[in-house]
Amino acid sequence: MKKYRSLHTVSLGLIILFSIITLSSMNSCVPSKAVAAKTGVQLWSENCQRCHNTPSPATFSPEIWETVGMHMQTRALLTEAERDKIVEFLKSAR
Amino acid sequence: MKQNFSFKSYGLLIILLMGIFARSFAQTTAAVDSSVYDRLNYLEEQINYHKSGDDHFMVVGLTTFGFASNKTTNTLNGVTTKSRTNSFADANHYEFSPMFLWRHGKKFLMEFEPSFANNGLGVNWADISYFATPNLIIRAGYLVLPFGTYSKKQAAGWINKLATDPMGITALPTTDYGVEIEGGLPIGSMKMNYDFALSNGLQLNADGTLTGGNIVDNNNNKTFTGRLGILPFSNSSLELGVSGMFGKVGNYGSSFQDVKGNMYAFDLNYVKTFVPILLNIKGQYNIVNIGDANYVSPVDTTQTYTFKNHSTAGFIQCAIRPTGIQALHDLELAARYTTYSTPSNSTFGSDQHSFSIGLNYWLSWRAVARITYETYTGNSTASQALNAFTGTTNSNTLYLQFSIQL
Repeated sequence: MKKYRSLHTVSLGLIILFSIITLSSMNSCVPSKAVAAKTGVQLWSENCQRCHNTPSPATFSPEIWETVGMHMQTRALLTEAERDKIVEFLKSAR
Repeated sequence: MKQNFSFKSYGLLIILLMGIFARSFAQTTAAVDSSVYDRLNYLEEQINYHKSGDDHFMVVGLTTFGFASNKTTNTLNGVTTKSRTNSFADANHYEFSPMFLWRHGKKFLMEFEPSFANNGLGVNWADISYFATPNLIIRAGYLVLPFGTYSKKQAAGWINKLATDPMGITALPTTDYGVEIEGGLPIGSMKMNYDFALSNGLQLNADGTLTGGNIVDNNNNKTFTGRLGILPFSNSSLELGVSGMFGKVGNYGSSFQDVKGNMYAFDLNYVKTFVPILLNIKGQYNIVNIGDANYVSPVDTTQTYTFKNHSTAGFIQCAIRPTGIQALHDLELAARYTTYSTPSNSTFGSDQHSFSIGLNYWLSWRAVARITYETYTGNSTASQALNAFTGTTNSNTLYLQFSIQL
């Protein structure tokens, strides 16, 4: 019983800590200059492989990449700037 | 006189020739101009015809099928029984799931994924998202809840590194009717993401297990599910996440009506290239705590029993792919250890462990043929008084599987 309570407390503590960090950062959510300067191809190579293999730009038409980009933003929780750069790269590199 | 005549004749001839040449040149130019204009007009029409509109509808999807050969040994009260199955379609993992996506401009996206699996039709998700601001997406419908990352991001056959799901991680229902907000946040060189949902919630069954996805809420209490993720490195190689799910799980008006569920999940995802190897490490640990309750005994319905309804499930998985070695870059080796513990003295208590190892051959970035070998050990901790104790089970299974996203 004591073990469960301490597990509960630790878990809740971690959630609260993450929440505080998130809430405090919502007002200052600005990327660093280096991150803001990243190109679409960089973001494509870094982010897609977090879940699956990096997709070939030749896979879909530009119109489909727009839709897939929105779907992937909801799955990978990309920022809008990241999504736009990745989609532009995929459309232009076909 | 004769010379004058000859000059005049030559002059007239030259003027005549120039006239003829000029006329024929003008005719040729006009003809060329006309055909080029016609061609341009035609191409313009074609471009306009194919030019994308504000809305777009598309179908993608995935299918996974395979073969499973299983040998199971169970020992109960000193008696050992053996069973063996060889099945096409890999019953636990076969699926055919088209996914429909409708985009309305750049603000709305509808997603619907029906699925044929386990010999029946179901729906994986059906929701609509509104892209409200650069860092905020609002969603409503039948959602995949943000509890850990496996169900939402890694379970698809063409994404998974092994032929099976880690047991226990997918045991908790993570799809429900509700509303959700989510988004990614840049913070200097780091990133964070948040995903919060309010849904009807899980339902406590008569034996202490949980079901979900109820279109009518079983009580007046809504369940909150949330996940926060942090990507501390600028190259997004590492993501750490913590999730919680809180809400009443008992039916309104029943003896369970005040029973609460407090659930937590911790996840890790690390993907980085160390030339010539792509290293991929994933893990998740779930903790499920359900409040105390008295359950009706299956042996004698006039009696009740209780147990500590606490479950845990976790896995750690590592995959390496030699992307920098031309002869081997389509191969990927993966291994996973999974542990799953369900409440002792219940009707379903057990301590289970499995180890899986597999080799993937990537036919393309989204098509894979794989072989996975999995060993499993399960020691029942279920109540002997309730005739639920099932002894010790060991099994070995070989999977051959193909999965593709289209």
